[in-house]
Amino acid sequence: MALWASLWVVFLAFLFYPVAFMLKGAVWQDGRFTLTFFALLLQDPALADALKGSFGLALTTTVLTLSLAVPIAFVMVRYELPMKSALNLLLLVPMISPPFVSAVAVRQLLARYGPLNQLLMAVGLVDPLNPPSWLDFPFWGIVILQVLHFLPIAYLNAVAALVRVDRSLEDAARSLGASGWRLVRTVTLPLMMPGLFAAASLVFILAFTDLGTPLIFNYQRVVAVRIFHMVETALENPSGYALVLVVMALSLLTFWAGKRWMERWQVQTLPRGPADGGEEKLPSPLAWAISLAILLVTFVAILPQVAVVLNAFADRWFMTVLPDRWTLRHFQNLLVHPLTLTSLRNSLLYSLASATLDILLGLTIAYLVVRRKAPLPNWLDSAAMLPLAVPGIVIAFGYVGAFANTPLDPRVNPVPLLVIAYAIRRLPYMVRACYAGLQQASEALEEAALNLGASPLRAFVQITLPQIVPHLVAGGIMAFAFAMLEVSDSLILAFEQSYFPITKAIYALANRLEGGAQMASAMGVLGMLVLALALTLSLRLMGRRLGEVFRL
Amino acid sequence: MVAVQLKGIVKWLGKTLVLRGVDLTVEGGEFFFVLGPSGCGKTTLLRIVAGFLAPDEGQVSFGDREVTTVPPHKRNAAMVFQHYALFPHMTVWDNVAYGLRLRKLPRDETERRVREALKLVRLEGFERRYPSQLSGGQQQRVALARAIAVHPDVLLLDEPLSNLDAKLRAEMRGELKALQRQLGVTAIYVTHDQKEALAMADRMAVMKDGMILQVGTPTDLYRRPASRFVAEFLGDANIWDGRLVALHADGAEVETPFGRLRCPRPDFPAQVGDAVWVMVRPEAVQVAKGDEATSAENTFVARLVRATYLGEVTELLLRLPNADIKALHFRPDGGLPDEVRLKVAADDLRLLPRHEATAMAD
Repeated sequence: MALWASLWVVFLAFLFYPVAFMLKGAVWQDGRFTLTFFALLLQDPALADALKGSFGLALTTTVLTLSLAVPIAFVMVRYELPMKSALNLLLLVPMISPPFVSAVAVRQLLARYGPLNQLLMAVGLVDPLNPPSWLDFPFWGIVILQVLHFLPIAYLNAVAALVRVDRSLEDAARSLGASGWRLVRTVTLPLMMPGLFAAASLVFILAFTDLGTPLIFNYQRVVAVRIFHMVETALENPSGYALVLVVMALSLLTFWAGKRWMERWQVQTLPRGPADGGEEKLPSPLAWAISLAILLVTFVAILPQVAVVLNAFADRWFMTVLPDRWTLRHFQNLLVHPLTLTSLRNSLLYSLASATLDILLGLTIAYLVVRRKAPLPNWLDSAAMLPLAVPGIVIAFGYVGAFANTPLDPRVNPVPLLVIAYAIRRLPYMVRACYAGLQQASEALEEAALNLGASPLRAFVQITLPQIVPHLVAGGIMAFAFAMLEVSDSLILAFEQSYFPITKAIYALANRLEGGAQMASAMGVLGMLVLALALTLSLRLMGRRLGEVFRL
Repeated sequence: MVAVQLKGIVKWLGKTLVLRGVDLTVEGGEFFFVLGPSGCGKTTLLRIVAGFLAPDEGQVSFGDREVTTVPPHKRNAAMVFQHYALFPHMTVWDNVAYGLRLRKLPRDETERRVREALKLVRLEGFERRYPSQLSGGQQQRVALARAIAVHPDVLLLDEPLSNLDAKLRAEMRGELKALQRQLGVTAIYVTHDQKEALAMADRMAVMKDGMILQVGTPTDLYRRPASRFVAEFLGDANIWDGRLVALHADGAEVETPFGRLRCPRPDFPAQVGDAVWVMVRPEAVQVAKGDEATSAENTFVARLVRATYLGEVTELLLRLPNADIKALHFRPDGGLPDEVRLKVAADDLRLLPRHEATAMAD
């Protein structure tokens, strides 16, 4: 049987069909082609406003994230700094929770008489009688949380872009008279640009389609939230499809532009100088100042996570900077509350299933592509990478429409589609992890086994597979961990409480008045632990190559 | 025309001592070669001259100006890199104009000099191309044009021909030499290819293990190497054990495994009874058919073991009692008999010290 054909069936059914279904729904009404729904979309001031809002939000987040990540990457790669390996690890910490979980706690932090204002009152910066109401600026709250959360991804990409710059080009520029900022501006930055632009497009798409954070801040002026509210009426009102398609088109455009830039200089196969990646020494006070500045950034970036932890253990946190009494009550509540326990069990189950599916799909695709054993391997690769460009809300929304009234209807039982959605969303990372492994495993070894009489399957299982196990496991762990904290699919696809995954439970809890936020935070802490553990394990298994997984 | 002077250069890279006190003077306008096997420290030396590395000890001067701590962009020492290091995001024109723009020259002067540089390397008409649209040889010329356009005080070349195919490399040798003559610029060229050095250098230095073994003109070094390493690095050499048995005013005599040889006096301190090496280049070994008459001195009868036909020349491996000798036979007229008579002129022999000192025969 042609393995590659069955892969295309999976992509067709769960990636292309839902999109095609929405497209048909959006432009085909009563047997005729129509663009009415797109026209309605643009005429609806609320939706047009939301599109503008999302665009502004994503742009702000992207610009701020990169202006933070690039200088940090530059000094981290180029200079000898104290505490470097610790900083490198700390910079990745914000990855352990989605911004949406932090948002629950940060919302408390920013309350009118919340800890932040208490602190500012204590140092006399804020009038105790009329403290500023931070939550009136949800836009900036969301921006800050997104920037801090996307910082690790942008940082990893910036480091990669910088490392790819041929150092002998900089030497050439210096021998011709360039130095300092001028050298960076004329040579280093232009050479980093493809990588940076790719990173920017990745962050832009993530920010543009982030559903959880604005939802928690109750910020309506973004498309993701609008789409979420349209899920209930998805089948009756085709405007939802139109909106989702616009979002998808914008994401694809951004992704494509990023790719194009990235490839622009990669097709140029100029000979490269030897990689002479030395780190320069700085005067000690300056090096310490830089390290402390980065430490400060990482500290701020970790604050939302700290807020989640504080919130989870706080017994009484009212009119004070820090909680004045601590408790394990919220964790105990998790054990008795029906919603939390089932959701935890559900998430474990879904994530395990989706990680397994990911390993199977990822390994097969990577093998076929790397060893060129399928027709059109580049197309297969593009299809596997597509989920990077097609936002989670798009796929989830498409599933709700496309599979309504079929055996897979998420309204009846969302489990199969949730597992598939999780798997498809993380497939690009899994495939990358497998690429990394397969490129290391020598094809000659497999050929030697074939030559000695092993069947292809036997050669693969006995020779190649053992060489890439670390990458498979690392990729699988990551897929598992991110599935645990996946937001948009979970919020959109799970309708019945008994099927709620952990994130939807957090969302449901966060909106309860009495102690809900604390319980949500406690669940967030559990999620963070799982993700932190998974990241540490993957880092152990893949080492420095982990960075390759998160690049565009 | 600026002279380059290095005094007592010592450089550690990590825990390795890469340069162990290098002294070197390159005259103004000279085409100077630094030749050595990989890992001998020659590239490090060049990077110190360029200013990319600072020496741990020692001084670098350009003419009267001491530049040891001057950063690369203020040295006016343009470099041609092994992998060319062309800016992929700039056209040929912008690559060549890069250094001139940094020098804030007037527009028309910049344009004039870019044109001039591209004309010198015969790349007119390629201005709008990107480096990736050029062949290896063309890329190499752009790198050269970029370096000479800034009218550097010193031109540094780091194995610039090593990425070209053999034919192009041979062509470029002649061109580079002519170009350097025409510009009159002081140039330092680093390579591990002895043919390049012999073909182009005004003078050259042979390096090993972070030290300069010998400096001189190509003929000097090829004909009169000061050590076994230099002798073997510059070309094929027959080298035998020997013992100095007599020293005369006009020469010396050495006992070798196959007989006594008359040769020039050693140019290192040596006494009768000392162990030495005796060297002769294969092309200096005269081979005649066994029956042809020759004078008796330094003449031996040898057995032909192998003849390898190489086109313009046939390489012979001859067996003497207790020793083998390589010889070249030009324009062979018919085959050679199994037994040949060979002769080595006393002037073609050279005595080398057994203990490799860093004898500087300047």
